[in-house]
Amino acid sequence: MTDVSVIVIVYNDADRLPDAVRSALDQSHRSVEVIIVNDASTDGTRQVADALAAENPDRVRVIHRTENSGAGGQPRNDGIEATRSTYLMFLDSDDTLDRHACRNLVATAEETGAELVSGCCWRVFPERKEEHPWFRRLYRERAVYSSVRECPDLMYDTLCTNKLYRRDFLDREQLRFPSGLFYEDLLFCTEIYLAARMIAVIPHRVYNWMVYENSDRPSVTNQRARLRNFADRLEIFRRIGEVYDRYGADDLKLSRDVKFLNYDLPLYVRTLRSREPEYRAKFLELAAGYLNELDPRAYEEAKQIKAIIGFMVAKGDYEGAVSAIEYVPKKGGKARLATELVERDGRVFWSADYLDDERARSVLDVTDLGFHSMPLKSLTLAGRVTEMDLKGSTLHVAGDVVNPLGRIDSATKLRAELEFRDRRRSRRVFGIPAKVEHAGGRIRWRADSQPIRQLRPLGFVDQTWSLRLRLHVGDDQLVIRLTADEAVHNHLEVPVRPRLTRLAGDHLQAYVPESGELALRIVARQLAARWTLAVLSALAKTPYGRRWWQTLLRAEKGMRDSFQSPKTKVNFYSKVFTRLPIRRRTIVFESHLGKQYSDNPKYIYEELRRSGAKYTAIWAYAGSPTGFPKDAKLVRRGSWAYYRALARAQYWVDNQGFPRGATKRPQTTYIQTWHGSAYKLMGADSPETKRGTQAHRARHQQMVDRFDYFVIRSEHDAQTLAKGLGVRAELVRSGYPRNDALVNGGSGAALRKELKLTDDRKVVLYAPTFRNGPNGKPEKRFELPFDVERFAKELGETHVLLVRPHYLSTAVLPPSLRGTVRSVADVHDVTSLLQITDALITDYSSVMFDYALLDRPLLFFAPDLEDYVRSRGSYFDLAEEAPGPVVGDEEELFAALADLDGVGTRYAKQRKRFAENFGEYDQGTAAKQIVERFFS
Amino acid sequence: MRDVFIVSNSVDELGGLTRWVHHIAHLFSERGHRVHLVGVTHAKEKYDYGDDFPVTVLHDTHPPARAKGRLRELRRRSVQRKGAEKLSALFRTARPGGIVIAAQVWAMEWVALADTAGMPVIGMSHESYAASQESSRFGRVQSYFSQADRLLVLTTEDADAWARKGMSNIDVMPNPVHVTPTAFPDLTEPVVVALGRLSYEKGHDMLLESWARVAKNNPSWKLRVFGAGPMDETLRRQADELDITVDLAGMTNDVQGALTNASIYALPSRSEGFPMGILEAMAYGLPVVAFDSAPGIRELITHEIDGILVTPGNVIEFAEALERLMGDPGLRAKLGEAGRRSVQRFSADVVVDRWERMFDLVYR
Repeated sequence: MTDVSVIVIVYNDADRLPDAVRSALDQSHRSVEVIIVNDASTDGTRQVADALAAENPDRVRVIHRTENSGAGGQPRNDGIEATRSTYLMFLDSDDTLDRHACRNLVATAEETGAELVSGCCWRVFPERKEEHPWFRRLYRERAVYSSVRECPDLMYDTLCTNKLYRRDFLDREQLRFPSGLFYEDLLFCTEIYLAARMIAVIPHRVYNWMVYENSDRPSVTNQRARLRNFADRLEIFRRIGEVYDRYGADDLKLSRDVKFLNYDLPLYVRTLRSREPEYRAKFLELAAGYLNELDPRAYEEAKQIKAIIGFMVAKGDYEGAVSAIEYVPKKGGKARLATELVERDGRVFWSADYLDDERARSVLDVTDLGFHSMPLKSLTLAGRVTEMDLKGSTLHVAGDVVNPLGRIDSATKLRAELEFRDRRRSRRVFGIPAKVEHAGGRIRWRADSQPIRQLRPLGFVDQTWSLRLRLHVGDDQLVIRLTADEAVHNHLEVPVRPRLTRLAGDHLQAYVPESGELALRIVARQLAARWTLAVLSALAKTPYGRRWWQTLLRAEKGMRDSFQSPKTKVNFYSKVFTRLPIRRRTIVFESHLGKQYSDNPKYIYEELRRSGAKYTAIWAYAGSPTGFPKDAKLVRRGSWAYYRALARAQYWVDNQGFPRGATKRPQTTYIQTWHGSAYKLMGADSPETKRGTQAHRARHQQMVDRFDYFVIRSEHDAQTLAKGLGVRAELVRSGYPRNDALVNGGSGAALRKELKLTDDRKVVLYAPTFRNGPNGKPEKRFELPFDVERFAKELGETHVLLVRPHYLSTAVLPPSLRGTVRSVADVHDVTSLLQITDALITDYSSVMFDYALLDRPLLFFAPDLEDYVRSRGSYFDLAEEAPGPVVGDEEELFAALADLDGVGTRYAKQRKRFAENFGEYDQGTAAKQIVERFFS
Repeated sequence: MRDVFIVSNSVDELGGLTRWVHHIAHLFSERGHRVHLVGVTHAKEKYDYGDDFPVTVLHDTHPPARAKGRLRELRRRSVQRKGAEKLSALFRTARPGGIVIAAQVWAMEWVALADTAGMPVIGMSHESYAASQESSRFGRVQSYFSQADRLLVLTTEDADAWARKGMSNIDVMPNPVHVTPTAFPDLTEPVVVALGRLSYEKGHDMLLESWARVAKNNPSWKLRVFGAGPMDETLRRQADELDITVDLAGMTNDVQGALTNASIYALPSRSEGFPMGILEAMAYGLPVVAFDSAPGIRELITHEIDGILVTPGNVIEFAEALERLMGDPGLRAKLGEAGRRSVQRFSADVVVDRWERMFDLVYR
């Protein structure tokens, strides 16, 4: 008996059917037969199918249906009836099977006894030459489930085609497809999952789902435009509910509802903006009807923004729904915050409406997403174009930008440019100055330009242009992506003159691509250009022309990419830049890989300026130059200018490490200041390095061997840090420049004022180190390990808590605590922060060594001390040496905080000893010593 | 009864892979299969495995390696083609139902060029996915083995990683236990033993560091390390620096002697495929302490059930684990006994059954 029957359904697809059938016949597993079910096609499908059968008489059979069934269900059922093999698979005529699909599925079925075996489906985009696994998270590894309840998420994969079914299983449970409805697989798969007594999953690729985006005849899922399609989906979901009832699977209903919110509904809402008003209305009505049947708990279980979308649709709130979907774009898209947000009772809500209702408040509460405290730049605000017209030769564009929670302060100076950007080459930009002002809670802007002079595309190679607003808020620059309704842009055509030739086109036409953002494309309106473009596009459509054109574009992109790649720069650095003469008396400064203007390099720089020595200082910044000194030359880390500066500088000063590829010239002197003494094991002493490869160690050593001088604070540093890192440079026993101010005294009054800490409450700084998340990388989001609300309630009258997460993570604090608990993550310089605090809470951060110099109370909140030491290792026993109480729970912490003076006196002796042991060289003259020694 | 051709880089080398080739060949022939061994070339230093099977060596001298330059590449290919012709001729002698096993990716280059006379080809990669990924083999495994009917790796975790990478012919085949103990340790000898080549990957330096943490408190215990290799000198120097005594006992052929005179087995490797050392130790009922550094190790040891796994590179934890076992004879006996039972999953019979199912499968 044959092992597998592959049922191929086809309707008017004569071109692609042979590929599908051949992929089944060419399986490495030979015991495979093919049943083609022709759903009454009207093109040449019939002949093609018959020919395939005639070529392979033993392996291919054809069933011709006399009447079209309108969907995939009935033909598949016909196929099932016509077969008798042990296993069944389904294949659509436009897709293909992986060569080893049947072998992997059959082997797994036999090994595990599963009735249903499912493998990974890949979506293949032939036009874009891309492919991606479909629901990889379900198919990461081999697994066997005795019931779908062991992995309810399996139900997200509702394809019937990437699966192998035991025939006797389908017959025993009488499982067949519903006929005449779209999305027949959804229902069929639900039943399959519920009925199967053993389900196996394999990570192997088994099925290629071909997606033709520009196809003339889109397949079912591409026709979302059709309401029937959505109505069918709802009908299928209702019937799925009945199936659950039949199988007594009430417990799974919730996960179906969550899936509807997370996955199905957004598919449709995403396209809503481009639909007709009648469609929108009808859609909202249909959807709201269904959403009202949902389990209310689904809104809590679903992803937050997805739940908000569902909520808005259920309320019939079109604007609410489409502005929410902008924050959860499709993969590869950019999230846009298009809503105003509102703060009530110390919480942040997505919208000001509906807040009277308790349930609505819980759905709309987005405090945890941190919009109120994240840097302005990370908000990715959405902008709209509200006016766009051509008056004579002047193009007038105007619009607005949301200003959620009034984050853009009306006192801050605003400046803006409207940017026309080549979509393929993000660096080609034409900027038009725009007028900008606060108006009615939003930011209004308008820009007038002379496109015929100011917008000069090349022609042919730059067909599409995007439109963005660059908004300068103080020192911050925000790039605002713009959307526009059709009524506004109205396919406006702006006359332009391409630089190459006017045969390439003569107008830029406004349109909205799939991203939803306003864009422009070159079109031809004059006869000559129309002819040229017609001929060219006809040529480009021939197979040869397309290949030639794509090769050209790829080559151009390749050149651009390689010009900007670090590899090219490093190559150029070592071959060219390092042959240029050294520029005497230049110093490149960098702190924490350019992320901050801070730490030892900053204090050396400031002392250098104070000393008046004539040196050219260059500071490297990553991201934004905001906050870096104005009297130094600034270079972006990783840019061409950066590598040139490194190659030619006489001195390098930094606290972490310059790029590995930048080999140091012998004439350059590298002063490595480092950024803190060590408690946990460092470098070669740490488990990460120990388990690493020899090559990894060699690379690390190579970087460290660039150091000429290494600044330390104590002999402890020499024994631990310098040894662990493998430092062979001369040790500079000056102490840390950043700590001079701590030793010499100084009030930090300016910062106190800036933070508005003017009352006489005690200021406590909480500065823990980072923790590694489950993936072994530092946790991005920092959850406070004690109850801050309780802190506010019990100690808020007498204490203020400043929270400073490690610079690799961020913390979100609710606005309700604004007066008593605040984040100081954006204060670059920790030294002045230490100066203004009355006590410090830390765990294992090196800030403990610095703070001890101030001789003020220190608390160690270390509930995970044992685990931390076990997993990272430490140079000394914290419990023994600590210059303050080491507490393990919230009770003890709060008790210690309430009695800071007591803590201060009890630990005075330990503090002194700690400061002497770990900061013996910190005598308040470090910056001076270094500047005098190297830069005088 | 099948003709089974096992093609590897060489058949007379002293090393784990070649030992596996001869072992599996014996097991196949015990089931009545006719095994032919093929080496691409001779080993530099030959080792005598006996002459139980017909052996073919494709190149008497080492074929030229890949090098820059068109001419040299042409020469390399022409030499390779000659070897492949020899292989094709051998394959033509097979009776229906034959199987070709390419045990290494370099050997697969010849199999790919040869005419396999309709026989299915089973490729093998005897290292972890991570180890492949770090070496030049990563690309070659993907290009050459994608033509194989089946590609076998040692553990499910590795197979899953390859499947995600797109190798849809991937499947799993563990190595069989290759020792048959005639005596067992009574787990009273105060000796921790480690066996293996003294190379950086095997991590003996970390074992020594761990030992430095436990030696002082347990003066009656000894650390004995069998094996030779490039790290020999370095390790002796390290032992002096750490001020510990380590019995670096050199190579041994007497695995049984080495294991029965110890109570704990240590495997401090940084990377492994499917470590024979653990298979052996478990078969002898020795409790194992190992870094959890490879899927092959996780597959063999269930933490706290039949051995102890330690976070890779964490010598403090490794030392604690050793000390725990040293102080607890009951735990040693419990883990050792559990290990001896669980390793039966990889007994010769179980593994060869799996192979034979695989042979049938590729003919279906």
